[in-house]
Amino acid sequence: MQSQAKRELLALYEEPDQAADAVERLHSAGFDDNDIEILSSTPYPEGAFGEGHTKHRLFAFPFAGAACGMAVGIAWIVGAQVSLPIITGGKPIVAVPAIIQILYEGTLLGAVLFTVLGVLFESRLPDGVGLYDDRISEGYIGISVMARERRLPDAQIALEEASPIDLLSKEGSLMHAPGTT
Amino acid sequence: MIAPEAAGLKLSLRPPYRPQALNISLNQAGIALLAALGLLGIVMYVVKLITAWGDRAEWAYPTVVLMFILSTATAAPLIAYASRMAKGYWALPLRRVAALYAVPSLLSFVLLIPIMASLPPLEGRSNLWFGFSAGAPFLTDALALAILLLTGMALLWFSAVPDLAGPPSRVRAMGRWQRLLYLNWSGTARQWKVLRAANLTLGAFYLMGYAFVHMLLTTDLGQSLLPGWRSGIFPVYSAVTGIQAGIAITLLTAALMRRFSPEAGRFVGDEQASALGKILVAATLMWFYFFWSDFLLIWYARLPSEVAAMQVTVAITYILPFVLTAVLMFALPLGLLIFNKVRQSLSLIAGVSALIVVGILFDRIRFFVAPMANPSPFGHAMHELPAPYWPNALDILFIIGFIGLMFAVFVYAASRIPVLNGWEMRQGSMLRKERTFMKTHVLVIGKPD
Repeated sequence: MQSQAKRELLALYEEPDQAADAVERLHSAGFDDNDIEILSSTPYPEGAFGEGHTKHRLFAFPFAGAACGMAVGIAWIVGAQVSLPIITGGKPIVAVPAIIQILYEGTLLGAVLFTVLGVLFESRLPDGVGLYDDRISEGYIGISVMARERRLPDAQIALEEASPIDLLSKEGSLMHAPGTT
Repeated sequence: MIAPEAAGLKLSLRPPYRPQALNISLNQAGIALLAALGLLGIVMYVVKLITAWGDRAEWAYPTVVLMFILSTATAAPLIAYASRMAKGYWALPLRRVAALYAVPSLLSFVLLIPIMASLPPLEGRSNLWFGFSAGAPFLTDALALAILLLTGMALLWFSAVPDLAGPPSRVRAMGRWQRLLYLNWSGTARQWKVLRAANLTLGAFYLMGYAFVHMLLTTDLGQSLLPGWRSGIFPVYSAVTGIQAGIAITLLTAALMRRFSPEAGRFVGDEQASALGKILVAATLMWFYFFWSDFLLIWYARLPSEVAAMQVTVAITYILPFVLTAVLMFALPLGLLIFNKVRQSLSLIAGVSALIVVGILFDRIRFFVAPMANPSPFGHAMHELPAPYWPNALDILFIIGFIGLMFAVFVYAASRIPVLNGWEMRQGSMLRKERTFMKTHVLVIGKPD
């Protein structure tokens, strides 16, 4: 099953246009957006390199957190009111206007905590992308592609045709002397 | 056109412009003064803890400081959120400055604990909690403030990661927990997208938390301790005037940054003054709108208990702080800000901002000293107007020291975290270009998101 294993290539480009060209060539070579990752030290507008819409689920986390927080809030206030029932101003023991601020507080707390957890989760912690190069943080743009062994030459050709300054695999530079990992 | 500072339009992407934290030293006179004031604040806080634990009147002026912090430092990060939400590129050099105020905001929690501990039981006085016995108001208020502060710190943390992380090899060499703090940052498109979404989501929660905390604290530390004071407008007044002071403190900081930090100051100028100046005028008008809405109802209804409360905070007992507030937060700022020249000059608008920051201190005095110092907070009406409770020497030292501590903590935070949001500024530089249009210059702005 050696041919089924995926390997990663990382090309570094000086100019954003070259990186966009590389993405286009990878698409033409049959690679889809799930195989391609763009790395940069500055956020480019989504789609600037011709890549597809990056999906994330961060917005689901606050909803889940809010639901959990509200449930805890309801348990807190209903439990407290029922365990020590004091009728205030003839109102029911558990009256919605009286508990709304506790529910708000619980809901907000849950939403905030889950959002923070969501950011950690969506940042792919504890692991991130495989290959990396410090030149990306110096302003070069990295295009990483995951390809099956038999498709690796196609990926390499597509990346090289866009004139990278370096092309890296797990073993080191495929273009010139290694100095990077 | 109020042109942006030229430096902000020409940022290098390769190598990427990386902002630096402030370079401070105790040999600098201003820093030494702030450090001394901060030390004074810590000493005065400890003195209060030892000598006045549980004595509500003794915590009246610390409550003023608490509400001052909540209305200045805690309000400032809203500018970062609002400008991101509205895609206001003019605010790029101010977003980190505003977000950094989340750090001194933490001091509000330190103040809240002894203040809440000095409050009388809820039974027998007006309150928000309708007999809820499981932790109100101590736990509920502390939790609400903690949520707000946590959100502010998360906003600062996430937005600072790309500037602090450095090259991927550095992040990869870190231990597991440290890598977690740096979000395992490598700059993938997904990470950038998540970061932007997190900034907007948490910013919205920050706004929700800010309004909620103002509602709780203005009630538990204000209205519920002064019988007869019943206002649904006051919490909103407190939140909105807090935003006014938050804008003011951000402008003041920007002007100081331009004056004392040549590296960061070259990005800050009249563009920021002009844009924030318009919002400041609106917020200044809102001061009058909410004050008048509150005042007119009570003046017209003539309910004796409500009139008495208004006499305490406005007309008789604390008339001096009220007049100072009206002049410093409304009359003078409005009179000055209607002139374009003032609104469009960072130096001039910083002067107006200083008036507002001083004014809000007097505003919080007139609202929170009387309730905290009121010996009889029970019942539904005051039988007679309380005498004014003026600060003694310790209170004055506390106010000066703790506010000094707030600014000292801000400066310390700015010496650890860059005062500019490098990645947003680089993106802004990429998407904003000055172009010649016929015989003039225009700014062409790209707003892709």
